[in-house]
Parts: sequence; C-alpha cells; structure tokens
Amino acid sequence: MFRRLFKKKPAPKPRKHKVVVKPKKPVRRKPIKSKSIRKKPIKPKAVPKRVAPIRKVDGVKALFEPRGVVIVGASGAKTGTAPTLFKSAVDNMRTYKGKTYIVDLNREMEGAFKDVKKVREKAELAVLALPQDLALKNVKKVADAGVRTMVVSPSYEPAQRGALLEATRQGVRILGPNSAMGVINTRTGLNTSLAREMMLQQGGIAIISQSNSVGAAVLDLARIRGIGISKFVSLGDKIDVDETELINYFSNDSDTRVICIGMGDVRDGRKFVDALRAATKKKPVVVLRAGITRLEDKIYDAGFKQARAIRVRDVEEMLDVASALAKQPPMVGDKIMVISNAHGPAVLAMDAMHCEGLTLAKLDEKTAKGISQRYPNINAANPIELGIEARAKQYELVLKNVLTDPNVDGVMLINMLKSSLLDVDDIRAIAEVLKKFKKPVVDVAMGGESYVSVRDVLEGANVPVYDSPERASRALRALCIYGRVKEKTEAPVAPKIAKKSKATKKKAKRKR
Amino acid sequence: MAAKKNVLEFISSIKAQKRRELSELEAKNLISLWGIQTTRAELAHDVSEAVKLAREIKYPVVLKVASPDIIHKSDVRGVKVGLSSEFDVKHAFEEIMANVRAYKPNANVLGVTVQEYVPPAKEVVVGMIRDKTFGPTVMFGLGGVWVDVMKDISFRLAPLTRDDALEMMLEVKGYLLLTGTRGAPPADTEALADIIQKVGQLAVEVPEIAEMDLNPVFVFDKGKGAIAVDARIVLREG
Repeated sequence: MFRRLFKKKPAPKPRKHKVVVKPKKPVRRKPIKSKSIRKKPIKPKAVPKRVAPIRKVDGVKALFEPRGVVIVGASGAKTGTAPTLFKSAVDNMRTYKGKTYIVDLNREMEGAFKDVKKVREKAELAVLALPQDLALKNVKKVADAGVRTMVVSPSYEPAQRGALLEATRQGVRILGPNSAMGVINTRTGLNTSLAREMMLQQGGIAIISQSNSVGAAVLDLARIRGIGISKFVSLGDKIDVDETELINYFSNDSDTRVICIGMGDVRDGRKFVDALRAATKKKPVVVLRAGITRLEDKIYDAGFKQARAIRVRDVEEMLDVASALAKQPPMVGDKIMVISNAHGPAVLAMDAMHCEGLTLAKLDEKTAKGISQRYPNINAANPIELGIEARAKQYELVLKNVLTDPNVDGVMLINMLKSSLLDVDDIRAIAEVLKKFKKPVVDVAMGGESYVSVRDVLEGANVPVYDSPERASRALRALCIYGRVKEKTEAPVAPKIAKKSKATKKKAKRKR
Repeated sequence: MAAKKNVLEFISSIKAQKRRELSELEAKNLISLWGIQTTRAELAHDVSEAVKLAREIKYPVVLKVASPDIIHKSDVRGVKVGLSSEFDVKHAFEEIMANVRAYKPNANVLGVTVQEYVPPAKEVVVGMIRDKTFGPTVMFGLGGVWVDVMKDISFRLAPLTRDDALEMMLEVKGYLLLTGTRGAPPADTEALADIIQKVGQLAVEVPEIAEMDLNPVFVFDKGKGAIAVDARIVLREG
C-alpha cells in the first residue's frame, strides 16, 4: 500500500509535463526509478507511523478496488465451517475480472498455492477464510508477503484478538474480524462473501452492514427485487475499518448514488456524525439502527437528524427508500399530489402520507382548469380520481398538468390493473410521459401479479414502484428529507436571528 | 469572547475551592455571564439580610434554601414563593430552616437565596450532558411530568443551528403546549431556541462543564422572552 502511494504520487506530474513541455522525457522515467529505489528500504521495516492517515484511505480503497486478491483457506479442515466458507468465497470470486490467487494451506484445492509467499506482491487484498487459530497464525505471514489489507472472516472474543491488533499497529488494514460477508464490488465482480449464490445486479446503492446476516438478507432481497448494488461491505467486529471511514469512501465513490448503513454502536459518535453530515451533502444516506428502546438511541437519532441522514425502521424500508433515492431527484418541499384510478387505494394513500408527515398539495387554479376543461368528470382535487375507465391518455393529460404545477412537490401515482380498464400498454405509455419530467414520482400498484407487471415497465423509466401506498409514502418521506439537505447551508451557530416561525419557514420552502 | 473569559475565570475560582458542583447561585451567575437570562438571586445568611435583600430585589420574592448538600430543594420543602411582605419573608425564612432541620438535619446550610419572583409561564427543561461517544449533547423537554414521567425529551448534538433548536422542540409530544392551544397565546419559542443554542455553544466552548441543567426555564408569551429560574452545573473532574 505504502509503496503504491509513493509510486502513485509522482505519477500525475510527469504526465502533465509531458503534455505541456515536450523535452521533458527523462522526467517520465523518474517515478519508475524512484519506485525501484524505494522498494528496498521500505520492505524490511515496519511502515512508519507518521504516514498513517494517508495509508488509511488507501486501505479502504484496496478493499474495493484491489489490484489482485488472494483467498487464503484450509480445505478439508476437520472442524468448523471454515472450509465450506472458503469454497464459497472461491466460487464467488469466479466473477471477478481481476486476478484471484488461491492459497490452500492443506494443499488440496486444485490450482491453489501452498504458501502465501508465492503470491508475494501480486495481490493487494487478502481474504482469510480460515478457522480461528489458523487465521491468527497467518495474519503476519500474509502481511509479510506484501498484502496489507485483509478481510478476516472468523470471529474472536476481544481477548483473542491480539495478533490482529498487532498487525493493525504495523499498518495492516483489517476488515472484521467476523466479516464473513466480506466485500463486493459489482462493477469488477469482486465478491469475497462467504454466502452461497450471490449474483447481484449492478446499480447505485452501496451497503455497509455491521451484521453479516442482515447484510446477506438485504442483498438477497435486493436480488429478487432487481435493485442494483454498487458495493457491499460487512463490518463484523470492526477492530480497524469502521463505518466512518467507509462513509467517507462511499461519499466519493462515483459508482455509488445512495449509501445504506445497517449499524449498531459506533466507537466515536462525533466523528461518525461529522462523516455522515459531509456525506449527505453529496448523496443520500439511509440508516437502519437497532436499539430504539435504549435512551442512548435518542442521541444517535439526534445525530442522524442533524446530519440529515434518513433513518428507516426495517430492511424492507431501507431498500424501498434507497431505490427511490437512487432513481428520483430530491424533493424540495413536502406537498404531494395523489393521482389514482381507484378510490380505496387513494384513501389509504391519504392516511399513509399523514403518518409520514407529508402534506397534501393543492392544485393551482390554472392546473385544475386545465384538467377539468378536458375531462369534466375528473375532480381536480387531491386525490385526483380518474375512475376505473381511465386509460393512458387521461393519465397523460393529468400528469402533464400536475407535474408542471408549482404547488406540487411530488406525485404518488396509483394505477390498479385488475379492477380497472388499465393494462400494461397503458403503463408503457405512462412511462414515456414520466420520462419527460423531473419532479419526484413514485408509483403504487397494489397487489401481487399486477405489481410485478407494472414494476417491470416503470422501473425501466426510473420510477420506483411499490405494492402499497404505505411503502410509497415512506419513499416520498425520504425524498423529502433529502430535499432539505439541498435547501441551505446553515451557520453552526446564529444566536441573533430574525423571527422565523414554522409558518415563515414553510413559506421559504415554497419559494424555492 | 469576553463572555468566555469571564466564564473561565469564574470556573477556576470554583476549582480553586476544590469543588465540582456549583451552587444554584453560582450556576445562575455563570449562565448569566454567558448571556442566558436568569432570575436575580442573592444569598442571605440570616433573616435580617433576607429582609434587606427582598427590599432590594423588590417584592414579591422567592426564598430557596442554600446548601451544597441539598440538590432538590423542594424535596426538603426548602422553597417558598410569592412572598410579598417583610412578614412573609421572615416567616418563610424560619419555616425553611425548620423544614431543612427536620428533613436533612446534617446538611450544611449557608442560609437562603432571595430571588426575584417571576409570574407563571410554560415550564421547560434545557440540559446538557457529555455523551462518551457523541460529546456535548443538549437535552430539551417540557417541565414536570413530561420529563419525569413521560420521558418526553429530545436531544441534539452541540453546537446547534437555529433549525436544530426549533426542531428539537417540535420533536417532543407536548409541543402543542408551546404553540398555544384553546385560545392560549403561543410561547416565545424564539427566546427558548436562543437559550438552547447558547447552552450548546457553552458546552462546546467550555469543556470544563460536565453537566448542566436549567430546570425550570420559564417561557413567556411570544415576544416576552424566557428565563432560567433554577440552574445546576457540575464541573469536569480534575
């Protein structure tokens, strides 16, 4: 890691020079030379302390974007689950576009090296899919072989972690221990997880999970729902790499549009909230945290709110909300218009929005007129009920009017298939209309089969589809919270400020 | 900045006495150095001093027992309010002393504090704790049962923006009491937000303060301000 930094640092300079000034060719050779010179003195010594902060960032990068990966396991070991998990990791890594090396300490697996020394310098990331004792024994060996970032899958009691902590003091970066789900990068096919059958769809959602099982469940759910994942990481007992560092990494990761965190306690709450705050300025962050019955949770919750992170209640909501945030723009304001071809679902939607603290939009007169002139049967109130006979053309006209109305901040579109004349072709036409507008829209298609058919069409147009108005309302709430981040940058303390009641605040919001 | 210097000087004078817990009077002095409005209070060692101070502060006044050993003054019946004459003050003084002798005979009693009386208003609590992982954190709740029984409180990490302060009021279930219901005028939430922000800022700038509790803070009708009626401050160890 360390060496790479040195190599990398001078690299951009010569390139620049090369373009600007022609006779600078020798400069180009310089970094290469420096690399070979530096190689020696750095090798035997432990990495000096003073460079720690720089190296740290790189360690997290090497977790997701290593130049090569080595999986260290011991097949056929008599006890424990380690051999099975080792095999799963090797299987999962077949999708990896980079180079994977396999080290089998028991020399049984075909094509495997017997010793980590053999992969010296070739890999940047090691996965220790070993039983407890073997993992401890091999940490140093792996580090000595030049692989300085590791995923440690077995779990340990705090007293047993000595060798791991020692390695981190020497500059080794450790994910885990107890990080059985490891890391996934869908762009490169990197998948060190020990879960079986984990083919994920590529997308914009990054997932940080402290728990292996919750993480695995989120991925599984994302897979069957067709929700795309950019990267995944399971933290485990996080003796080294933690949420804070990962949030920093993901907030600068161009593949990631939304960050999801499943967490328990953090070591340094203050740093965590600072990282969260910085991240939400760039992209939305969704948080699921267990422990609401404890008083300290109120302080966590305060931190989430101040950082404008979006707290969710369960895994399902996490993905519901994340897919809306990945697909739709932030919503400035909280006034929602409901458009529906059925009465019952629209009424449920009213309740659901009330529960999420959203308000009902009131159409501008011009908009209302635009609708009622063309379709006198449609009452341009809220909800706008189109009736069971409505087809794509009614939806189209109403949508065009509503989505350009300044009094509407977001739309919940309800299209029931089974109880109406609407069919999938209509949905296709609606999808085309929606593509033309930039205001947040979420769709509700209650039911099972009809939900799937609507979803298959609308998700192609980047409109998230839900099987209930309640779930859609939670997604709208998230878009609204994220919209507030964009509002204004506030000074941390402003003791003397002119009156700003709730009403005036709302007014200010409306203006924007 | 002058405020900070004064507060730090004040704190080192307490530390010099090897104490961590400030008396009510000291706590009030400290927060008023920081620009938080508090009720005027002075220490009277005996009854004649109490009468003199009452005249100075102007009737009606409040008498509260002053003792480093008594934190919850009303638990020992050490608080008398609405005293509007010399007779009342004398009588209240004797009564407080008798009560304290009965309820807490071993307490070291310095005398009483004579305090300015403020008319009834909405009572709230503003506190500050240092969480071991999140650092200085401000707490807010509506007074009385809302905090004690309902645990209806909200937190924000210090320092707080104006919006943070207003949001933490909105978050408690009893918020409607502040906005004014059934024809009652709304409370001065702006003045309250000001106090909340100042408590947060004090916590950030003066790490010597470990804990702080303004309980109660009286919030008057809109435009009429808010005032800390009682205060408790504990300093950091060492």
